[in-house]
Order: sequence, then C-alpha cells, then structure tokens
Amino acid sequence: MSGPPERAARLVRWYPRAWRARYGEEFTELLIAELAERPRSPSRTADVIRGGLVARLADAGLCGGAPQAPELARAQARAGLASLACCAAVFLGVGGAIWSQLVIGWQWSAPDTAGTAVATFVMTGTVLVLALLALLAALPVAWTVAVRLAHGQARGLAVPSALFLAGLAIMIVGGRHFGNGWPGTGGHPWARTGLVPGGVAAFSWASTLWVTSFWAHPAALAAFPAAELTWMALSPLALACLVAGAATAIRRAELSPALLRFEGRLGAAACVTMAVFLGGGCAWITGWTPRPGSLFHPGAIDVAGLAVMALALGVACQAARQSRRGPA
Amino acid sequence: MATDKALDGFGRYAGPATLILASLADGAKHGYALTKDIESFAGVRVAPGTLYEALARLQAQGLIEPVESHDRRRPYRLTEVGAATLRAQLDAQRRVADVGLRRLAQGWGPA
Repeated sequence: MSGPPERAARLVRWYPRAWRARYGEEFTELLIAELAERPRSPSRTADVIRGGLVARLADAGLCGGAPQAPELARAQARAGLASLACCAAVFLGVGGAIWSQLVIGWQWSAPDTAGTAVATFVMTGTVLVLALLALLAALPVAWTVAVRLAHGQARGLAVPSALFLAGLAIMIVGGRHFGNGWPGTGGHPWARTGLVPGGVAAFSWASTLWVTSFWAHPAALAAFPAAELTWMALSPLALACLVAGAATAIRRAELSPALLRFEGRLGAAACVTMAVFLGGGCAWITGWTPRPGSLFHPGAIDVAGLAVMALALGVACQAARQSRRGPA
Repeated sequence: MATDKALDGFGRYAGPATLILASLADGAKHGYALTKDIESFAGVRVAPGTLYEALARLQAQGLIEPVESHDRRRPYRLTEVGAATLRAQLDAQRRVADVGLRRLAQGWGPA
C-alpha cells in the first residue's frame, strides 16, 4: 500500500510537464497534506484529474484566460497556433481522401448528381484557398526558424525542423511514386480531362491512401502489394512527423507579436475555409442518390471522415480563438 | 474601471478566485494554509485541482504573485491590482446582498 507522497506523485502526473515544472512541488506538498488529513476522497481525486486535463488543454492553447504577462500571452498564442496546425492536418488528411475520390471519379465520368458536382467544385476551390493560406502561414515561420538556425540561436528548433523536413520529404517522394504508379489517377487513355490535373488528384489520392475502410477487412488488405501496404502504414507516420515537427517548431520559435497576429488571422480564415469544405462534403453525401456503377458512391468511411473533420474543425476554431486572445 | 471586470473571465473559477483573494487579504499563504483558511471563514473546502486552477489564473492575470521561499510550499500574496479587484468584487457582492436583504425585509418581515 503506497503512502501519501507516492499517491500525490501519481496524481500530479495528470498535469502536463510545463505545469509540473512550475507548480509541481508545491502542488505535491498540498496533496500530501490533504491525503494525510483525508486519505480517501473520490471527489478530490476526480477534481485533481479534471484539473490535470484542463491544464493539458490550456497547455495546448485550447482554454484559459488571456494572460497579462506578454511572454505568457505569446506562449499561449503559439500553443493555440500549434494545435490549429495539428487540427488542420487531420482535417486535410481525411478531407484530402474524400476530395481525391471525387476528382479522380470526375476523370472517368461526369458527376451523376448536382450535389456531387457542386461539392467537387466547392471542395476544389477551398483546397486551393487552404493551400494558399498554408503557404502564407508557413513561409514567415520557416524564415524565422531558418534565420535563428543560421545564427545559432535556435535552441530546441533543430530536431523539430529535421522531423518536419523528413516527414515532408517522405510524403512528397512517396506520394509522387505511388500516385504515378496507378493508372486510375490520370494519364489513362480513356480518362476524361477532369476538374483538376491528373497528377494533383493522384498525389492527393496516394498521400491519403491510409484513410480507407480496408483496415477493417484484413483479408482484403492482405491481397494488396507489399509496397503499397508499407506505404499505407508509413505515410501516416510521416505525416505525424511532419505535423509534430511543425507544431513543436511553432511552439518553440520566438515569433514576434505582429507575426503571431498575422498567423492568428490566417488561422481564422483557414477555419472559415475548412467549414466551407466540410459543407461541400456534406452536400455530396446528402445529395447523392444510389445509381448503379456510380464512381461517386459515398461509403461509411466518408461519413465517418466527415465526423472526424467536424471534430477537428471544432477544435481548430477553439485554438484559433485562443491564439488571437494572446498577443496585444 | 478595469478591476470591476477583472474576474469576469474567470467563469466557474470566479467563486474560488474571490475566496482566495479574500484569504490573501491579510497576508501571504501557501496552498494548504489557503484551503484551511477558506474553510474556516467560508465553510467550503476548495479541492486541490480547483484551487490551483484558480491560483494559476489569478497569477496569469497579475492579481497574485508568488513569494520567494526556500520551502517546497510556495506562498502567494495579493498584488495591488489584486487588492483593487477584490475590493470591486466585494463591493458588487455587497450591493447584491444589500438589495436582497432589503427586499426580504419588505416582503417577509425583519429577520
């Protein structure tokens, strides 16, 4: 049976590392005194666990008041932007799979419902806007990180930068390799022109190959070529490296208040754009009627994908709101 | 006045925040001393997780500050902004209490 110090140490682990570094010792002392006075209290345990989860959300820039101290406000803004980047990556990973399904289908036959056509146009337009916003957001951050790295002032930035670049390189090389290797994604002599260039559709398809219901059917999955299976397992890991590297770099880079405000505005614009993209996806699923041989047939994976995207969008909006509360 | 609205953003922590500020009004205290003091004058026991969420928010808002200590139990004290905020908060609560007591006396007779 463990004593109050051990139980207090276990409870404090619910809190994030940064919080523990700041409050850990004194909070542990309080818990030891509380545990000595009242050894059993489920409501106290629940309160500490809830407090730890709230502290983790605050650490991720998803809740908490606007701090008065400028450095705390900037840290909160950076945390919010990092969470926003993670949510946007999840949204685009799943959304890219849905979008590529539609634009590849359009290469072979025209959309069979008005809802599908509208959805494909809307989603294609928003993908373009999101790509532009991502570029505008990434360039100044990348420049700031590169300048700090060049001046040897970038403590803690080298590893996340390397992680980001490695993930990006794997996604680009693998996406192009597997996109080019499948005739259904463009270049086939029978294919129609389509809405977007075949190479773009193929790259999006190959990059999001891991978003598939085949995971629930191992027997069918086993029939896939080994290289494709490896890519399906490797690509989400590469994407995770890319996003983790970017998020960590954003959190650690000393971005100026003006740049944080600029990034916050881009984040808000990205949330609006993602909402429009999600609306396009919903229009496709709700407007589609069963037709034999349709290339635009939505499946359960697409409905689940839209639910994941809605959740990611909700968290992204909260992160964007928090990131804009910080820097004055 | 900014301090009138200083606890507006505290939401569900406004209650614990007021109790903490009131407890610190007579001097610096660490977490456990705050818990015992609040229990003695308010009759409520603020749970540890709630106490430290409120302390972190109060500190981020500049209403309290830690006192240098060699002890692992770090004490906190009120700042000038915190004292002004507490005064404004208690004034607002007193106005509500005065109105409620006056209407009770008119409608239900004196206590």
